[in-house]
Amino acid sequence: MTEIGIEVNARAVKAWVEPRTHLADFLRDHLNLTGTHLGCEHGVCGACTLLIDGMPARSCITFAAACDGAHVTTIEGLDDDEIATELRSAFTREHALQCGYCTPGMLISARDLVLRLDAANERDIRLGLAGNLCRCTGYVGIVRAVRSVIEDRRKRGIRPVLSAGREQLGPVGSGNGARGSRAQVSSRPANVEAPERASSAAAIPDFVADKIFEQHVTIAAPPAEVFAMFGDIKQIAACLPGASLTAEPTPEHVEGLIEVRLGPISAGFRGSARIGRDASTMSGRIVGTGNDQRSRSSTQGEIRYHLVPIEQGAATRVELSIGYSLQGMLAQIAREGLVRDLASRLTAEFARNLERRLSGTAESQRTRPASPVDGGALLFDVLRGRVRAILRGLLRR
Amino acid sequence: MKAAPFAYERPSDLNAAVALIAEADGAAKIIAGGQSLGPMLNLRLVQPELIIDIAGLAELKQAGRSGDELLIGACITHGDIEDGRIPDVTRSAMRCVAGAIAYRAVRNRGTIGGSLSHADPAADWVSALPALGAKVRLRSINGVRDLAVEHFIRGALETALQPGEIVEAVRVPVMRPSARWGYVKACRKPGEFAHAIAAVMIDPERGAACAVIGAIEAAPIVLRDAASLFGGSVTGNFRRQFDARVAEALLVEAGLANAADRHIHVAVLRRAIDEAA
Repeated sequence: MTEIGIEVNARAVKAWVEPRTHLADFLRDHLNLTGTHLGCEHGVCGACTLLIDGMPARSCITFAAACDGAHVTTIEGLDDDEIATELRSAFTREHALQCGYCTPGMLISARDLVLRLDAANERDIRLGLAGNLCRCTGYVGIVRAVRSVIEDRRKRGIRPVLSAGREQLGPVGSGNGARGSRAQVSSRPANVEAPERASSAAAIPDFVADKIFEQHVTIAAPPAEVFAMFGDIKQIAACLPGASLTAEPTPEHVEGLIEVRLGPISAGFRGSARIGRDASTMSGRIVGTGNDQRSRSSTQGEIRYHLVPIEQGAATRVELSIGYSLQGMLAQIAREGLVRDLASRLTAEFARNLERRLSGTAESQRTRPASPVDGGALLFDVLRGRVRAILRGLLRR
Repeated sequence: MKAAPFAYERPSDLNAAVALIAEADGAAKIIAGGQSLGPMLNLRLVQPELIIDIAGLAELKQAGRSGDELLIGACITHGDIEDGRIPDVTRSAMRCVAGAIAYRAVRNRGTIGGSLSHADPAADWVSALPALGAKVRLRSINGVRDLAVEHFIRGALETALQPGEIVEAVRVPVMRPSARWGYVKACRKPGEFAHAIAAVMIDPERGAACAVIGAIEAAPIVLRDAASLFGGSVTGNFRRQFDARVAEALLVEAGLANAADRHIHVAVLRRAIDEAA
């Protein structure tokens, strides 16, 4: 717990908060100021917008502990505010609300625009309100209301306040409190990662992938050697960064775990895959499912590979088609391109590892601690979107 | 949608912060404005044991001229730049970029150093700063080092930051009076992540041009010498000389397989060049 002192609506408040408590929860649950609404809780919808040090900010992605010494104004604190009073009348007159859920955040953002905008330009008002979602009104009434207040105030000779009067630099809310505060290390529950049973091969269904992309990689070994290597699940898993087998694999079925890192995010997809190979066409297919308990995300993936001889058969071009569907929290941020970029980096590393193994250098002995999963790994990748194409791709997906 | 528990430290000065980060040995996440990390914490995609809050560090909230460049502390917000609370050496280029980042409520807390450290390919500074010729200054207990922004951004959400290192400042060179600037991004909704970004700084007097094609879901394409986009030399007629095929080829080389995506990137680049002309 961390002790903070905040001024909320001109009232000094002292409280102990958990570091993870965001400002909106602190206001609603500790101070009973429920006028601040929570919608998306990840900074997109704008319902939780309030004033910190006089400037609009998202209270759902601002931790209360980070606001020590700050001046916070919620919608409840704007009862007697001149601009807010004018806006409330205008909202009523123009039918600028229906259910009212977005209205507290909308009024805070609108007040900032009334304060700062030079002229009541519809485009600027719409841009300024783009971070506050309303699903009832279609915005027309809201824009009209804001516009009328700006026009009226400018007519009355009230000038806009550039910068909304702020002079201090840095994130609003920061730097007001005692410096060097130290939170007591809150008891952090061990990451409970209940081992979950991977589904059996028979239970892995075909599926229609949401996203499909193609990748290819070149390996300096003849196709027959590469194809044989692809059949050795343990070897493949060892080449796949972050992959490990959780059960003894069979040629048709693999269970494993793949740890993937995407910037600050790390996830461990646990799952299983079934593997099909066709030596006559030098191709194969891996279909699997997996899920990451921590991010409560799940994925289904399919990797198809085809080995093509190049350089007179001395080298192999591995053509990969990677399809995946991703559900859960990760799907919120794992844009297709991010997955693709991750996949290409993984694929390149996989190819390097594979080449080392095929050339039998000492490097091949130096497997990472977590090694191996082939199909499973592939699946996982797919899952995560980090499908890298290559072998791994195969593996994972 | 609540963050998992974490321990929280607010060091008193930069030295203490850097020491703490070194001590944490990679187990900690640094937070400044928290506008990128916050959502990931709430979604529990990131569950650090320790969060070190650097937003209060006065050393990181300064900005000032130093010779031919502007030194911008890592915790200067987009809003500080948008509102002109810090000096500008880019003839308003940075103010315009800052003013179109996400939403006002986000700009009031989101920082320039945080945005670079997060390295989302669709983030504005990741593409705009290389075109301005900016560098980042990184600090650890071992001292400081400077890197060009394009060398700092390694890939999607990947940077050259070593464990124990933080972004201390951004160094932006003074823009020459003869330089022309263009910055365009394509978003389906204002404030949303960009689907394409182009930044160009073209100086026909010196025959020099720099172009950045960003938001390609990987590190941006940075052409420090972009003469090839204009038939080999940069003249006053650069707008007419723009060769879309060269840009198209660069995008193919960068792995953009989708022709429609490439078309959007080329169109956005053309608009940035038009803006500069």
